Amino acid sequence: MSELTINQRRPFSFKKLAILLFLVLYLVLTLALAHTSNYDQGLFLVGVVFAILALSLDLVAGTLGLYSLGHAGLFAISAYTTTILNVNYHWNLALILPFVICVNGVLGLIIGALSLRVSGLYFAITTYIFTLLVTVLIQNLAITGSYQGIPGPPFPNFPSSLSSMGTALVWACSFALLVTIAIIWSIRRSAAYPVLLSVRDAEPFAASAGVRTSRTRVLVFTLSASIAALAGWAFCFLGFLGPSDFSGTISINILVMVILGGMNTLVGPIIGAAFISLFPVVVAWNPLWQEVLFGAIFVFVIVVIPEGIVGVFNRAVRNIRAHFSKKPPGLVEPTATVATTAAPSIEKLDEVFTSEFALEARHIDFSYVPGVPVLVNVDLVVRRGSIHGLIGPNGSGKSTLVNLLSGQLSPNAGSIILNGHEVGHLPAAERPKYGLMRTFQSAAMVRSITTKDNVSIGLYSKYRWILSRSLIWPFLPSGHRDGYSIDAGARAALARVGMGPGWARAKVADIPHGVEQLTQLAAAYVGTPSVLILDEPLAGLSAGEVETIAGILRDLSSSGVTIIVVEHQTRFIFSVCDEITVIAAGELVKAGAASDVRADSRVREVYLGQ
Amino acid sequence: MFQVILIGLSNGAIYGIVAMAYALVYYVTRVINFANGQIMMASVMVTAVLTMHQVPIPWAILAAIATSVALSLVVYFIGVGPVLRFSRFSFAWLVSTLGLGIIIESLAAVIWGVGSLPFPALLNSKDAIIFGARMPWQGVLAVVVSLFLIAAFELLRRKTLFGKMGTAISTDPEIASSVGGNVLAYTILVFALAGLLLGVAGILVGPNSFADAYLGEGFGISGFVALMIGGVDNPSGAMTGGFILGILQAFAVTYINPQADSWFPFAVVVVVLLLLPNGVFTAVGAIKQLTERLGARTAGAKS
Repeated sequence: MSELTINQRRPFSFKKLAILLFLVLYLVLTLALAHTSNYDQGLFLVGVVFAILALSLDLVAGTLGLYSLGHAGLFAISAYTTTILNVNYHWNLALILPFVICVNGVLGLIIGALSLRVSGLYFAITTYIFTLLVTVLIQNLAITGSYQGIPGPPFPNFPSSLSSMGTALVWACSFALLVTIAIIWSIRRSAAYPVLLSVRDAEPFAASAGVRTSRTRVLVFTLSASIAALAGWAFCFLGFLGPSDFSGTISINILVMVILGGMNTLVGPIIGAAFISLFPVVVAWNPLWQEVLFGAIFVFVIVVIPEGIVGVFNRAVRNIRAHFSKKPPGLVEPTATVATTAAPSIEKLDEVFTSEFALEARHIDFSYVPGVPVLVNVDLVVRRGSIHGLIGPNGSGKSTLVNLLSGQLSPNAGSIILNGHEVGHLPAAERPKYGLMRTFQSAAMVRSITTKDNVSIGLYSKYRWILSRSLIWPFLPSGHRDGYSIDAGARAALARVGMGPGWARAKVADIPHGVEQLTQLAAAYVGTPSVLILDEPLAGLSAGEVETIAGILRDLSSSGVTIIVVEHQTRFIFSVCDEITVIAAGELVKAGAASDVRADSRVREVYLGQ
Repeated sequence: MFQVILIGLSNGAIYGIVAMAYALVYYVTRVINFANGQIMMASVMVTAVLTMHQVPIPWAILAAIATSVALSLVVYFIGVGPVLRFSRFSFAWLVSTLGLGIIIESLAAVIWGVGSLPFPALLNSKDAIIFGARMPWQGVLAVVVSLFLIAAFELLRRKTLFGKMGTAISTDPEIASSVGGNVLAYTILVFALAGLLLGVAGILVGPNSFADAYLGEGFGISGFVALMIGGVDNPSGAMTGGFILGILQAFAVTYINPQADSWFPFAVVVVVLLLLPNGVFTAVGAIKQLTERLGARTAGAKS
């Protein structure tokens, strides 16, 4: 990545100033609140606690699409644990905080590992049951005061020398919220953010870029559960703890806060938390009518404004902008022709491979349903540095074979040797490490983010500790460095497929299908794979774009990349490929040099229809 | 012992009917209607209030069941239909149905107060003697109704085109509609049917529970637990899940302690969820399928 670092810039000092300004404002506000009346502080602190919970929930619900209903249970466990350890066992409050964070983290890990195996609905149900179970336990255990609940511990005040700071508890809660905001903000600015969205929206794409999707889900839920511990810890100082503070309804309340404010945003959950927790105070009606209105808010939010307050606001801003700007928004500079001159050349592969073959798949058997074979004893042997075509009629098993090679499926029998390693048993996410990347037949990327961010996902396996570093990404020198180098790498890859800066800024949802295919290609080769598999890269492309792709493939091939292309356009295949494998009805028909295959009578019969 | 089983069966029948109402709706629409408990409560409240005002019991019961059907449809038209229109696979219905549940419950409390109202005894006043154990006729009726519902559902599903189309819609609504299935009509019908079941469940449970605006939540959760035991995707399994839950609960109360019924179901469901994420009966089905497959494979190898 050495030449990419040339593009490094100093971060804008404007941004640093904005952060500083935010911090000063935050501290001033906290100081002001620390001097208000107890009643006002109580209101504010409940809002803060729920803001922490909503932010932690949005981390799983918004970025990963996992609707956790377990947050009330996690919240309860940390609140009761803090209280019991402090009141009954006299632990130090500062010691309890890391302890409850760990407890919640472990619980999150267990719940996540057990429930994320199946489906999103199962996760929602399991976490809901978890909250119900916790509620029942605190209703029935003597140590939690059963239905009556228990008083929370007092929070120590500042020593008299610092008494001008006001109430210490306000500072503690405010600091907890600030830490939460910092973590969420860091993740959203890190290179891990597009990766998380790809786990939510484009799982096969994520896996083929080397992301272990299940593990990522479990880890993010663990983090979310740990953050919820902050809220529980802070909540127990606010007064009495009772089972009704932590029921299943509270889980739904937190989810409503997130949806009302705006999912997958930073300020949305905070706005939602403020709104919902202040609501009973502002609308001081008969409590029963208040409940009716509360239920109505649930329904209204879901049915009328599912994108939330922030979403509505953003849409309004976009509309106003569109109204005043002359150019239509979205696509700029549609120049989908190759701009090879500007593009940096792909690095030469520095690994030394001893074997003559980059990929050897031998004696592959596969069936989706027992007794109905899809592939029978198929061989695919790809010479290093060649462009290898894989052709066959519809339903011949091409895509299945490709999915076996990339690990989306695993074969019933046979071996797959990739750069000298047997990979047949490895999951998809492990294979980029051995130099394999792929594209998909129907472009499947994250539609809500830019093409550049999508391409950056392809670099995931090239940088270490992206997920763990994302917690404090903007504060790390390595975060800045890698952020710029990932950014530059993605831009360069896009430029190479002829997509300039205008396209790099466009969201995938707004670009035409052909450009999406080019983006996918860029995302696959940006990680400098040694073997690149393209599954029908030409589907839906114009003649000019087909030429672009052919040029890129030849270019990549000359820099040493081995390419496997699955395609229907035989003219393209025969003009670009060095060697070709033909399969029909799940069996190998012919493999060899392009000219031999073309001349073969059986190939003509089964495929070319002659 | 036998007495305990009988108590368990009569409670379990109610949980089972509520669970079946969840499962029927889920079967066709992939939605879990979390307002079910409150819809059942409405039936109990309406019967109690009408009989208090000297309405003859049969009319009160009819009005109560009609109320439940109407409420179930209201939940569909306000909370589920609009949400499904933008995505069949989002979980937005979870929030909207819970919200409607809160509305129904709180409105009932506003209208009829938060206290308990008397409910006519119906068949509860006489006991049936079964092998020396006593069971009120109301309980016998609940068990009979639930057995009838299992039989009716399985007959419909397996033997009639109507039921097969329901299965088709549950598998893939787009393909089902392309072969002439009216998905919308089925969806509305299934919500109405679930309302009917919940109305009936309310009448069956009323003499024991009395009428209370907040009784819906408990039965809603118990029904949901029964659903988890039986399998979300399996209406007759859900009913059986209700029986299992009822019996386990009765044993827990008798042999562990009188408060055990509040936490024991959760312990059961946690175990079920962890071991058999798709419910007891789906797991049994999967094992059966697996053995059949193995059989087919060995048979294939021989030939």
